[in-house]
Amino acid sequence: MLAFLRRLAGHLVRGVVMIWVVTTFTFVLVRLMPGDPVQTQYEKLLAQGVSAEQARAQVQVTYGFVPHGSWISQYGDYLWKLLHFDLGKSVSAQGVSVTTEVLGAAKWTIGLVLAGTLLSFVIGVVLGVIAAMKREGHVGSILSLIGSLLHGIPQYVMALVLVTFLTVKLKLFSTGPVNGLIDPGFNGPYLASIISHAVLPAAAFALSSFGGYLLTMKSSVVSVLGDDFILASELRGIKPSIIFRYVARNALLPLFTVLALSLGFMIGGAVFIEHAFNYPGMGAMLIDSIGNRDYSEMSGAFLLITGAVILANIAADLLYSAIDPRVRHGGAT
Amino acid sequence: MSTTVDLPVSGPAVVPARRTGFWRNLWKVLKRKPSRMVGAAIVAVFVLTGIVGPWLYPDNLPRDSDQILAGPSASHLLGTDFEGTDVLALLITGTRYVLVAAAFAALITVLIGTAFGLYAGYRRGAPDSVLMRITDFVLTIPGFPLLLVLSTVWKFSSALQMGLVLGLTGWGGLARSVRSATLSLRERGFVEAARGLGMPTRHIVTRELLPNIAPYVAMNLLIGVTTFIYSQVGLFYLGVLPFTSNNWGVMIQLAVTNGVTQTGAGLGYLMAPLVSILLLTLGVVLLVDALDEVFNPRLRED
Repeated sequence: MLAFLRRLAGHLVRGVVMIWVVTTFTFVLVRLMPGDPVQTQYEKLLAQGVSAEQARAQVQVTYGFVPHGSWISQYGDYLWKLLHFDLGKSVSAQGVSVTTEVLGAAKWTIGLVLAGTLLSFVIGVVLGVIAAMKREGHVGSILSLIGSLLHGIPQYVMALVLVTFLTVKLKLFSTGPVNGLIDPGFNGPYLASIISHAVLPAAAFALSSFGGYLLTMKSSVVSVLGDDFILASELRGIKPSIIFRYVARNALLPLFTVLALSLGFMIGGAVFIEHAFNYPGMGAMLIDSIGNRDYSEMSGAFLLITGAVILANIAADLLYSAIDPRVRHGGAT
Repeated sequence: MSTTVDLPVSGPAVVPARRTGFWRNLWKVLKRKPSRMVGAAIVAVFVLTGIVGPWLYPDNLPRDSDQILAGPSASHLLGTDFEGTDVLALLITGTRYVLVAAAFAALITVLIGTAFGLYAGYRRGAPDSVLMRITDFVLTIPGFPLLLVLSTVWKFSSALQMGLVLGLTGWGGLARSVRSATLSLRERGFVEAARGLGMPTRHIVTRELLPNIAPYVAMNLLIGVTTFIYSQVGLFYLGVLPFTSNNWGVMIQLAVTNGVTQTGAGLGYLMAPLVSILLLTLGVVLLVDALDEVFNPRLRED
């Protein structure tokens, strides 16, 4: 237990340091922008006849720091606001705080990523076991090839192909924002609308990522099948179904780490799918904010995406040490 | 998802004795499965296109204003784009950018990844933990969102700059694998013998360790090239970089903004770069399979 807490504390410290580095990075980046957006907004407000005092207050609200004063004091202001989860105000959606916007988008991304990842995990594991069992024949080699190919195909290729053929040619699904005319909430039409919008992105997700699970599962099953205890249980005449359970339990171990890691990465990696399907998640928000030169929103979205990856890394490590005693007792690092 | 090749922790790491040995082995391994031949051929065709492609066409591609977003025909094998330019010509002239950027990125990845990994794995101790902290950091920051954010400040749209930025953000995985390979190699007899004979560190690293690590680096490199291609094409597809030259990503972006995904007109324009990416991926996957066997003689079936 103590070791677990020590591990957790170490991870948390490293995570916080990393988030600090990322925030510093985006802070410096926004200051390095061509035609300094902070200064630009300030001057635009002055030109509109706003008094210097008010303009400064407005800019401070947007970016979390004042355009005048040294970088150090601006940086201090920025970090102080950040500690209070204040990421500034969005420029494109006037007056809405970035925190609200980013969290609103995060909800959509998390739903998509969870659905897509679970789907691809299940498909990948099942096909991976089959590929391992039949590795000598054609089925196995075809499955492996499909796995490597799909694993290699970038998500935007999958997304664009699906969009073009299913929504345009066959008109099966709708893209675009969820219908605003339907009352949001837990009611039939609204849920149906969400589902019809999310099916295709989730499918694109699953199709483009199950290959990785397939390959990992296959090599994992193959290595477990070669273990002595499997041979021993075969010799002792244990039923194949029970042997299968032995194999599955041991072979799944490495998969869970991959699962936790990819949950984090997918939150950042959903950029393409969200963009292609016009899905209102964080990745789409990141791209839109760059297009609109809305840098406080951009910093917020990037921070949240990075945070998700860091959290997933911590979760993966803890999960692995929880389910595999060999790691817990310091066997491997 | 990691893009590195798993390293066998132990096992006979056989150094190809002479260069000719490597090429002869490669040929033998390629001949064993027709699929590998196909893979090698695909990669070769793309590389050739990248080299000679732009010389086959005039700098300003001719436009056929009667044929806008046309389907495939005898004069335009893959159809035309929204200005009436031949899609095949765009595809062929755009290949060089894509491959140059990916190759340059791969070169930078190899330089940084190998240097960091070798140094960290061989020295161990404090340099190792510092370098691995940096590597962890590079690995954790989600690469593609980082590229998007960077694109706001630095318009890396020339092929070499694109390669530079991709390489600088993408060396983490390679550094990790090289380090773990070095850690296991340095305990092996021949390295210990070299140390015992009082060979200088430079000799041990360049003559004993590097030749044994090179095969893994080469394979990681080949897989890395495909991921670099996805990232750069993706950046152009999302439209965050200015279009200074013609390449596959620009084609996809322009096809999407000109409504190909909505109307379905000019499907060839959208599909040509997408299918090229798929083909190149297929080629690389098949070729890596062959290289795997060349470098790991235990996998050989005979």
